[in-house]
Amino acid sequence: MSWRRVRLLIWKEFLQLRRDRSMLPIIFIMPVLQLILFGYVIGTDVKDLRTAVVDRDGSVESRLVVDSFVNSGYFLDVAHPVDEAAMQKLLDGNKAQVAIIIPEGFSDLVREKRPTEIGIVVDGSDSKTASVASGYAQQVVAALSGKLYPGRLTASSSGVDAQVRVLFNPTMRAVNTMVPALLAFILMMSTQTTMSQAIVKERERGTLEQLFVTPIGRAEYLIGKLVPYVLIAFIQITLVFTIGTLWFKVPFNGNLLVLGAGLALFALTALGLGLMVSLLSRTRYQAQQATTFLMVPSMMLSGFVFPLESMPKILYPLSYLVPLRYILVVVRSNFLKGSGFVALWPQFLAMAIFSAAIFGFGLSRFRKQLND
Amino acid sequence: MRLPWQKHSTPETRASLEPAHNEFAIEVNGLSKTFGDFTAVNSISLSVGHGEIFGFLGPNGSGKTTTIRMLCGVIAPSGGGARIMGYDVVTESERVRENIGYMSQKFSLFQDLTVDENLKFYAGIYGLSDEKFAERREYILTMADLHGRENEMAGDLSVGWKQRLALGCATIHEPKLIFLDEPTSGVDPTARRQFWELLHDLAASGVTLFVTTHYMDEATHCNRLAFIYRGDIIAEGTPAEVKGDLMRDTILRVEVDRGEDALTALEGSPGIAEAYMQGSMLHVNVGERTEAEADLTGLLGGLGFTVLGVEPVEPTLEDAFVHLVTRQREVSA
Repeated sequence: MSWRRVRLLIWKEFLQLRRDRSMLPIIFIMPVLQLILFGYVIGTDVKDLRTAVVDRDGSVESRLVVDSFVNSGYFLDVAHPVDEAAMQKLLDGNKAQVAIIIPEGFSDLVREKRPTEIGIVVDGSDSKTASVASGYAQQVVAALSGKLYPGRLTASSSGVDAQVRVLFNPTMRAVNTMVPALLAFILMMSTQTTMSQAIVKERERGTLEQLFVTPIGRAEYLIGKLVPYVLIAFIQITLVFTIGTLWFKVPFNGNLLVLGAGLALFALTALGLGLMVSLLSRTRYQAQQATTFLMVPSMMLSGFVFPLESMPKILYPLSYLVPLRYILVVVRSNFLKGSGFVALWPQFLAMAIFSAAIFGFGLSRFRKQLND
Repeated sequence: MRLPWQKHSTPETRASLEPAHNEFAIEVNGLSKTFGDFTAVNSISLSVGHGEIFGFLGPNGSGKTTTIRMLCGVIAPSGGGARIMGYDVVTESERVRENIGYMSQKFSLFQDLTVDENLKFYAGIYGLSDEKFAERREYILTMADLHGRENEMAGDLSVGWKQRLALGCATIHEPKLIFLDEPTSGVDPTARRQFWELLHDLAASGVTLFVTTHYMDEATHCNRLAFIYRGDIIAEGTPAEVKGDLMRDTILRVEVDRGEDALTALEGSPGIAEAYMQGSMLHVNVGERTEAEADLTGLLGGLGFTVLGVEPVEPTLEDAFVHLVTRQREVSA
């Protein structure tokens, strides 16, 4: 391994990038454009919201409340935490998106026909899910009121009042969940696109062939290719982060170390995929098509555009195969809730496995390809 | 442990760290490459002496490029081996790559780098010192006639310049052996002639050149030749030797209307060993017969063709090649 040769390769790559008139706008304008485009998206139907129930009353009436939620089809009873602290943990770890708190003495008040309250807590870090969930919750509670207090029909005088509290993202601004997601998405787009073009371009021009009859080693070549694109991706996400927090005023409650570690791990999966595309493609056009082909399921199946909950059941398992799914949980949770490694370790682990597998395969292809 | 190539070496030469400076610049022994079921190179052997211009000839897809890639240590052979400047292509491929220059038909320059940047890049890759680079840069700019164009993009240069700059980049570290894969394809005749002059100068200074080409007229520039056809070397030697066993045959050059049709009609006719088009002319090998011009004119006339002229010609390398390929086909059929 000669660092002199690696430095030369990086110098050469930057010179070429600087002269590529189509690259610079892509690198700097694309992230900003996407930030604006994706800033606002349409709400969609959300089903099977993971719901935690804190039932402090434990009565027939309180069970009726839970059943009403479950029977609506929008809420899925997934956990019964003992107290609010346990509930908070479930929300932090994304195990629950909604929590229902039925206060002690709920059934007594209902029997005495006196007005009561139940608490609804919604995870606002995914703003679409949050707004839809709180809307549904209010509907369910209104219908419940009619059942528990027959005769009092108007909503204004309903017996049960739903106290909806949206956690983490109280204003439910779509941009608050979009900006963190865009950090990951732009990182993926950029590294995967540039990386997939990088090697196939040199093969098309014959310079790859030329470089491998010089003393340049394969590892040197690969590092010389990766470093420039990682640096560019870093500049891009810094740009998105800065515009997102300063211009779009997205609050950053997270930790740069957790965020950075997550994005770096995710970048490895994207670079690995790009490398694979570059090695499997014969022409740049093919590489571009393949990249687009990979991008679409990533967008659709990761919760980037459409909430995972609105996905048909049959397709849902596929979402586990999309690395973007995991980083989205990491960036959104970290950005808005400040979740750390403790809450997010399953996502980190999944990404580590993905990057090891993809990169390992990419590297072995790289070796094999050049040997034939 | 004794490695195969140490068979003949004495204890003294084995003890020295420098590889034994071989008699040959290139030594190939039973080299093969298969891709799945397909045999691209079939156990070929050859040797090239220092300072030789060795021509490696064959039609496209016959295994020329695959052979060169194995000799440069870029791809691993499936069988056999080769030593380049004394280094083994498999176990010492990095040494091999440090000691050779390589130029392909694509003149693989960085099109979006300037002339100077291309030179600087390759100088750095081979680890040239600043003083050495200054000296080599000056030499290459003069050789390639590129003074005043140092800051032009390589991609904007005309083909002849690109070709000479590519040669400059490939030889910036002054290798003693240069592989040239179809270096003149797509270049106009004047630039080709100039380029061959450069190659002769290099050879005169003791550099060994291994050149592939499918231009048969260029093969006459070579000291020795090998013909490769479908992965097999079917002939090897000096241009005269390769033509050798063909010298006994008489080749008639025939000018005839509807040459392609005449060719079809002649194939398989009695007394005709081989017939093929060379340019617009029909070349007919009538075997060892002499004075066959009248017979041939009669034969073609009888088939309804108008013969405009017939004359015997000296067999060219192309004639030799067609002859060898025909014989090879008969052998394998």
